[in-house]
Amino acid sequence: MADDTNTSANGRTVYHANRHAHPVKVAAAGVDVSYGDKQALHGVTLDIPDRAVTAFIGPSGCGKSTFLRCINRMNDTIETARVSGSITIDGEEVNDRGVDPVILRARVGMVFQKPNPFPKSIYDNVAYGPRIHGLSNSRDELDSIVENSLKKAGLWAEVSDRLHTPGTALSGGQQQRLVIARAIAVNPEVILMDEPCSALDPIATAKIEELIDELRENYCLIIVTHSMAQAARVSQMTAFFHLGHLVEYGPTEEIFTNPTDRRTQDYITGRFG
Amino acid sequence: MQLSLFTALALLVLTAAGFLLGRRRALAAGQGRAAGLHSLPDYYGYYVAMWTGAPALVLLALYGLFGGMLVNTLALAELERSAEPLGARYESVLEIDPAHAGLRAERDQAEAGRLAAREYADAMFTQHGAESPQMAEAMTDVDGWIAEGERVEAELETRESQLLSQILGAAPDSPQGLAARAGLEYAQLPIERRQLFISDIRALAFGEGMASRDTAELRAAAAVFQPYETTIKWTVCLLAFSIAVIGLARAWRRVAPGFRARNRVEGAISFLLMLSSAIAILTTLGIVMSLLFEAIRFFAAIDWRVHEFLFGTQWSPQIAIRADQIGQSGAFGAVPLFVGTGLITLIAMAVAVPVGLFAAIYLSEYASPGVRAWAKPVLEILAGIPTVVYGFFALLTVGPFLRDFAMLLGYEDAVTQSALSAGLVMGVMIIPFVSSLSDDVINAVPQTLRDGAYAMGATKSEAVRQVVLPAALPGIVGAVLLAVSRAVGETMIVVMAAGQAANLTANPLESVTTITVQIVTLLTGDQEFNSAKTLSAFALGLVLFVMTLMLNIVALRVVQKYREKYD
Repeated sequence: MADDTNTSANGRTVYHANRHAHPVKVAAAGVDVSYGDKQALHGVTLDIPDRAVTAFIGPSGCGKSTFLRCINRMNDTIETARVSGSITIDGEEVNDRGVDPVILRARVGMVFQKPNPFPKSIYDNVAYGPRIHGLSNSRDELDSIVENSLKKAGLWAEVSDRLHTPGTALSGGQQQRLVIARAIAVNPEVILMDEPCSALDPIATAKIEELIDELRENYCLIIVTHSMAQAARVSQMTAFFHLGHLVEYGPTEEIFTNPTDRRTQDYITGRFG
Repeated sequence: MQLSLFTALALLVLTAAGFLLGRRRALAAGQGRAAGLHSLPDYYGYYVAMWTGAPALVLLALYGLFGGMLVNTLALAELERSAEPLGARYESVLEIDPAHAGLRAERDQAEAGRLAAREYADAMFTQHGAESPQMAEAMTDVDGWIAEGERVEAELETRESQLLSQILGAAPDSPQGLAARAGLEYAQLPIERRQLFISDIRALAFGEGMASRDTAELRAAAAVFQPYETTIKWTVCLLAFSIAVIGLARAWRRVAPGFRARNRVEGAISFLLMLSSAIAILTTLGIVMSLLFEAIRFFAAIDWRVHEFLFGTQWSPQIAIRADQIGQSGAFGAVPLFVGTGLITLIAMAVAVPVGLFAAIYLSEYASPGVRAWAKPVLEILAGIPTVVYGFFALLTVGPFLRDFAMLLGYEDAVTQSALSAGLVMGVMIIPFVSSLSDDVINAVPQTLRDGAYAMGATKSEAVRQVVLPAALPGIVGAVLLAVSRAVGETMIVVMAAGQAANLTANPLESVTTITVQIVTLLTGDQEFNSAKTLSAFALGLVLFVMTLMLNIVALRVVQKYREKYD
């Protein structure tokens, strides 16, 4: 399915070639995160390309979700969390005092592990973001945003005739696509996905993966996953985290076929995790 | 007393012995190892102990409940038997006494006169109407005959008690004579005073409380009671003891390796559990039934004009106390009470719902853990204040303040006891109820929903307003409905702060009264329990019960629906 990662035997050159094809969207340098006394991330530094899918893999508690939550400053909602280091999106510092997290989160959408549609209708769920950010000037405009978002999320055909029924009444897979539509509706630049398929059955998972592959055309996607098969299927870049450290980062193909670090190799061959 | 204590101790020892014996026999049967037995050795012990203790205990409990009654019945029967000759003499004296015969004749005359006057009054009513002077004259006549009848009745009673004391004085002072005198006295007592007579005898015989008087007759009667008590007590204690021994022996004999002692013991325990829940359910049922029957008696007393009770607009139960009352029908219209209850509930909810809900939102969404740790318990202390304390706060502080304030604004008719002061204070009382329940409901909204809202770029208040509260709404509605049923049933604050005038008004500065307040006023103090006035309290209670029951059912349904969504 991947077409723009010209795979050659030499991994590093592919990585650089890749980075040329897709400019860096998110850049992290020396990111430390601690919850109270416990340090969860140690000096993470990596560049994430635009218009590509980057997968974070690693055993439970390795810090991959923590790092994901740094990108849209969701860690702000946790009292004890302390974040240091630098994260930039298009060169703009995220952790800067002048940056309003509310505005930042409109640029960086997020999809969670468990589908969490709001207790509203399907329409109101998708229209939620545009409404609070004032993205539409008329009812027609809002209607078209909702329709486009649902179409992009591949849900339009299934729900177009019942837009005003509760979003919570949909199936788990449909709810997850609804949540993705909700995230797309504010036209973000980056979409973060925290194990988006872990609560879904294989068929719903396949649909979401297909959707992720399509969204790659327009967005910078970052996905945390426990499934190495999923990382291999949908991502172009893969980062392996272990015990709060970024162990290895590179093109997915290279990580899975020719890892440089012993721990990466052990993890992807199933020796731990 | 000491005998019962001794029996109870003996039963306890026997039960313990039953446990040890059963256990030992089980172990012996399994050659000292538990593996060969169906159940663990302890279960055999429990089984034997159960059969030793339980039946005897049930017997003792029955004795405790009905023993006194049995003694009373038997001893009073003997007293009445010994009073028979005296009673016969009294009857014959009544027969031949000329004064008594004269009074009886006068009584019959008064009754006949009243009936005739009544008939005449009815005729005047049809001919000339209720307001006519003829009618008034006829009614004066009726009242005169009634007064005459009452006078004769009183004189009859005086004469009868004179004759009775003569008869009693003539009886010998021997124990038999005294007992016979007590028996006759008892037989002549009206039903409602017999219980006091019995308690006096029991007090003298067994030292149960204080006797209201102490006479030779009562002491003789007490002497009749004592042997019955002793016999029955000994019989019961011996019976209990032998039942325990027989139970022990039978259960002990059944202990064998294949005997399923564990299942038997568990069966007994599940029976005990069932019994406990049955007690709770039956008590509720009993309360509802007594309410229902008394309410039916009330409706019978007002000739089944249920619609007048439910939709009538005048409430003044005092007027209807006289049997010959004309126009008594309008007095039991409960609408002013319903309106008063509704008004006060409305005011209370207007205070409790916003304040309670906002407090819950602050505590669950905005307060830091430190603030929450002390603010929540402090808020809940409000719920621990006795309602009577709220009552005098309303009466002494809030009421006068509101009255003065209303006068300041130019409302001259303001009173201290008003719907507003009762409602405000009741609202404060209900705040912790609403806030605590709402807080639980808001906390039950999954964190993922809040995260979802934040990730969309919502601010905290947007997340709370647009996502958390809608998700918690069914639970909050449930909490509010429960609070309403609490407000409807609240009594003390309203008794003290809202007055007792049954005004049909929507003005919160006037005195109103509620269903609960009327129940209290109708049933406290000296009341006769067969007048429509007193019985109306039960009909009000039934209405109140049905109202709160429906509110609770609706509230529970709403809460249930909410639970289904997120679990």
